[in-house]
Amino acid sequence: MIRFISRRLAQTVLLLFGISVVLFLLAEAVPGDYFSEAQLNPNISADTLQALRSHYGLDRPLVVRYGYWLASVARGDMGYSLAYNQPVSQLLFPRLGNTLLLAVPALLTCWVLALVLGVLLAGYGGKWSERVFSLGSSALLATPDVLLALLALLIAARTRLFPAGGMHSLATADSGRLSSARDLAWHLFLPGCVFILSSLAPIVRHVHAEMKEVLQTPHVRAAEGHGISRLRVLFRYALPAAANPLVSLFGVSVGLMFSVVLVVEIVLGWPGLGPMLLEAILARDMFVTIGGVLLSALMLVLGNVVADFLLYAIDPRIRVQA
Amino acid sequence: MSAAALRVVYAGSDGRASVAISSLDFDVGPQETLGILGKSGSGKSSLAHALLRLLPGNAKFSADRLCFQNDDLLRFSQTELRRLRGAGIALISQEPALALNPVLTVGRQIEDVLAAHSSRSRDQRKQSVKSILRDVGLEDTARMMRAYPHQLSGGQRQRAAIAQALVCSPSLLIADEPLSALDVSTQAEVLELLKRVKQERRLAMIFITHNAAVLEGLADRIMVMRQGEVVAMGTFSEISASDDPYVANLISPRKTLAQLAAPAAITASGEPLLQVRGLSKKFVQSRPFSRKSFTITALEDVSFEVAECQSIAIIGRSGSGKSTLARCLAGLEEADSGEIVANRTNGKNNVQMIFQEAGTALNPRFTAEEIIAEPLLIAGKLTPEQRMERVSAVMDDVGFNPEWAGRRAEQFSGGQKQRLALARALVAEPRVLILDEAFSGLDVPAQARMMRLVLELQSRHKLACIHVSHDLNFVSLFAREVLVMDAGRIVERTSPSRLPESQNPVTRAIIEQSESLHAIGLEAVL
Repeated sequence: MIRFISRRLAQTVLLLFGISVVLFLLAEAVPGDYFSEAQLNPNISADTLQALRSHYGLDRPLVVRYGYWLASVARGDMGYSLAYNQPVSQLLFPRLGNTLLLAVPALLTCWVLALVLGVLLAGYGGKWSERVFSLGSSALLATPDVLLALLALLIAARTRLFPAGGMHSLATADSGRLSSARDLAWHLFLPGCVFILSSLAPIVRHVHAEMKEVLQTPHVRAAEGHGISRLRVLFRYALPAAANPLVSLFGVSVGLMFSVVLVVEIVLGWPGLGPMLLEAILARDMFVTIGGVLLSALMLVLGNVVADFLLYAIDPRIRVQA
Repeated sequence: MSAAALRVVYAGSDGRASVAISSLDFDVGPQETLGILGKSGSGKSSLAHALLRLLPGNAKFSADRLCFQNDDLLRFSQTELRRLRGAGIALISQEPALALNPVLTVGRQIEDVLAAHSSRSRDQRKQSVKSILRDVGLEDTARMMRAYPHQLSGGQRQRAAIAQALVCSPSLLIADEPLSALDVSTQAEVLELLKRVKQERRLAMIFITHNAAVLEGLADRIMVMRQGEVVAMGTFSEISASDDPYVANLISPRKTLAQLAAPAAITASGEPLLQVRGLSKKFVQSRPFSRKSFTITALEDVSFEVAECQSIAIIGRSGSGKSTLARCLAGLEEADSGEIVANRTNGKNNVQMIFQEAGTALNPRFTAEEIIAEPLLIAGKLTPEQRMERVSAVMDDVGFNPEWAGRRAEQFSGGQKQRLALARALVAEPRVLILDEAFSGLDVPAQARMMRLVLELQSRHKLACIHVSHDLNFVSLFAREVLVMDAGRIVERTSPSRLPESQNPVTRAIIEQSESLHAIGLEAVL
C-alpha cells in the first residue's frame, strides 16, 4: 500500500515537472512578454522597459529563469505575478477554493443524478422512455456549454430569481453564518446547474449502456430467479457489477472538471480560476498561466488516483490480480 | 406443477421470429423428478425460464394453463411472481461461475434471498445461511460466507448456488444443466449432493441436461425434447427402448460410437514433426499494494515428440499445466527454457491450435466465410478468387454447409462453431494440430462426431495431433501415446491399452472420475 502511494506520488511529481518544462518552452515560443503592450505606449521609453525587464529577470536565459521559478516553487510561491504584483500561490489558491466549491458538489450531484437516472431507465424503461431519453441526451450533448451558460444568464436577468454573477451579495456580507451560507447556495445554483447539464449527458449514457449490458448477464437473471426485488437487483447486484468502466469514467470526469468549469465561471462571473486564467493568458502573465495549467494537470492525476482506489474498493477481483 | 400448450417465441433482431417451444404439455407431481433431455438448442433452457416467467424482453410467452400448487401463475402479478421465485420454485442456473454475482460475497447473496422472502432478523438469517452452507457440504462456513465467487472452485461455486436456491425451502427445484460446466469428478459430487437434498427435503425437481447418464438413477420420468417439441416421454427404461434415432443417440452415445469405426490403421512415418525438449515455464504473480509475490511452476522439464499421422493425448486435472503447454507449442506463450523444434516446410509456422471454447475464440461479428479466410488474408499470398476456392474446399472438408457462409459466428450452435474453428485452423495447412479441450463443451454425441471428423482429417492431411483434455473420452480411439501431467510435469507415459492397469495415483484418479459418471458406453470403448 505504502509502496503504491509513494510510487504514485513520484510519478505525479515527475509528470508535473515534465509539464512545467513544456509550458516554459511554449511560453518562450510565444512572441512578446508582459511588457510588449507597454511598448506601444509612447510615454514609456525603451530604456524604462529594458530596466523593468531586467528588474524582473525577463532578460535572463531560459534555463536561469526556469531555475528561479523552481526555487520559487520550492518556497511555495509558484512564481510571481507581474499583473497583480504578488506571488502566484497567493493569487491561485483562494481562487482554487472557489472553483472547487462550485465544481466538486456539482460533479457529485451530476454523478448521483446520472447513476439514478441511468439505472432506473435501464431497469424500468420502455420503448418510449428510451426514445425520449435518447433524443434528450443527444440534444444535450449537441448543445455547447457556452450556450447553456448564456441561457442561465438570460434566466437570471429576466426572472431576477437568481443573481447574475459573483459569489456573495453585498447585503449579507456580515449577517451571520447561516444566512451567508444560504446566500452562497443561492449564488451557486445557476452555475452548478449549468455544470451539471453540460456533464450529465455523456455520463448518463454510459451508465445506461453499461447497465443494459449487465442486466443481460446470467448472474443478474439468477438473482431475479431467486425472487430478489427488482430495485435491489438493480442497485445492489447489477450496478456494482457494471461499475468498473464507470469508475474509470469518474476518474476522467474529475480530471476534466476544470475544463468544464472554466466556461461556466467566465460566462457566469464566478470568481474561480477560470476568469483569472483567461486574464493571465491575455496579459501574458506567464507564471499565473503556468500555475493554473499545473493545477489542472494535478487534478487529472488526482482523478485517476481516486478512480484506482475506488476500483480497488468496489471490485474484489482487482485485489488478487497480478 | 402443470402446464398446457406452453409456447415461447423469440423475436429476432432481423424481425424474424424463432420458435423455442411450441405447444408443450407436462406436469410434475410432488416429490417427483422430471428429467428433461435434449441437445443444445432444443428449448430446454427457455422452458426453465418460462416456468418462472423470467424470459427476456424479446420473448413472447403464452400458455393455456400454468399452475403451481393450485395457483394460476398466468394470473400472477409481478410482485406475486417475485415472491414465488426462490421461495416456491427455485432455479439453479447453468453456469455457477456466471450465476453468482462477482462483486458480492457468497454469504451476502444467500442472505439476500432470505431477506427477500422472510422478515427474520439479521442474526437469524446469518444462522440459516450457515446451516444451509453446511447442508450443501461447504463446511468452513465462516470463510465461505466471506468469500467472493472467484475465490471458490467450480464445485464450491455450484454448491453455493445450490445453497442459494434451497435456503428458502422451495418445493420445486429447477436445475438447468447444473453439471455441464464442471469437471468430471466435481460433476459426480454435485450430482450426489442433488440426490441427497432431494431426498432429505422431499423436493420435486425438474432436471435439465444433455447427458442421459446422469438421469438414470435420478429421474422418475424423462421428457426428451427436440426443437421445442416433446419427442418422447417415459421412464428411463422406456426411453432407452425407443427406436427414434434422436432419442437413442441421446440415451446411449455408444451407438454413435459404434459408427465411429476404428480409424484406418495409422502408421506413423519415422519423421517427427514436432519435438519438445526440456520445456519449463514459471509464472510470477504479485498482488497490488503488496510486496509479496508467489511463483507458480506451470511446466517443468517437459519433453515429447509427435510424428506425422500420429496422435498423442495429454491429460491432467485443471491446473496441471496442460493448457500452458498447449499455448507454448502454439507460440502464444514464451517458455523460460527448453526448446520446441517444429519441422518447418516453406518456412511457415505449421502449428495450429483449436481452443477450449469455440464461442469465445471466434469474433461474433464475422461471417463464417470471413473467419475461415482470415489466416489466408494475413498470409496475403493468394488472389481473392484463390482464397474463396480454398475457403469453400475447407468448408467442404469439415462438413460445413456452404449455404451458411454468410452467417455471423454468433448465429451458430456450439458444434457448428467448433467446426468453424477447425476449418479456420485447416485453411492455413498446418502439419500439427493442437486441440485444447476442444470438444469438452459439447454433448457426447457431438463430441463423437467431431472426433471422427478430426480422425478423418488427420489421415487425409497427414496431420500430427495433440489432444489436451481432462477426461479420457475417446482416448483409445486415436491416441498412440498418453502423457499424464500433474503440477507441470509429465508423471506418466503410457499407451491407451495399458492405461487401465496404470498404478500411478494421478492417472488412477483421472480414470476413476471418467468411469464414475461420464456417458454410458464410453467406458466400454475405453
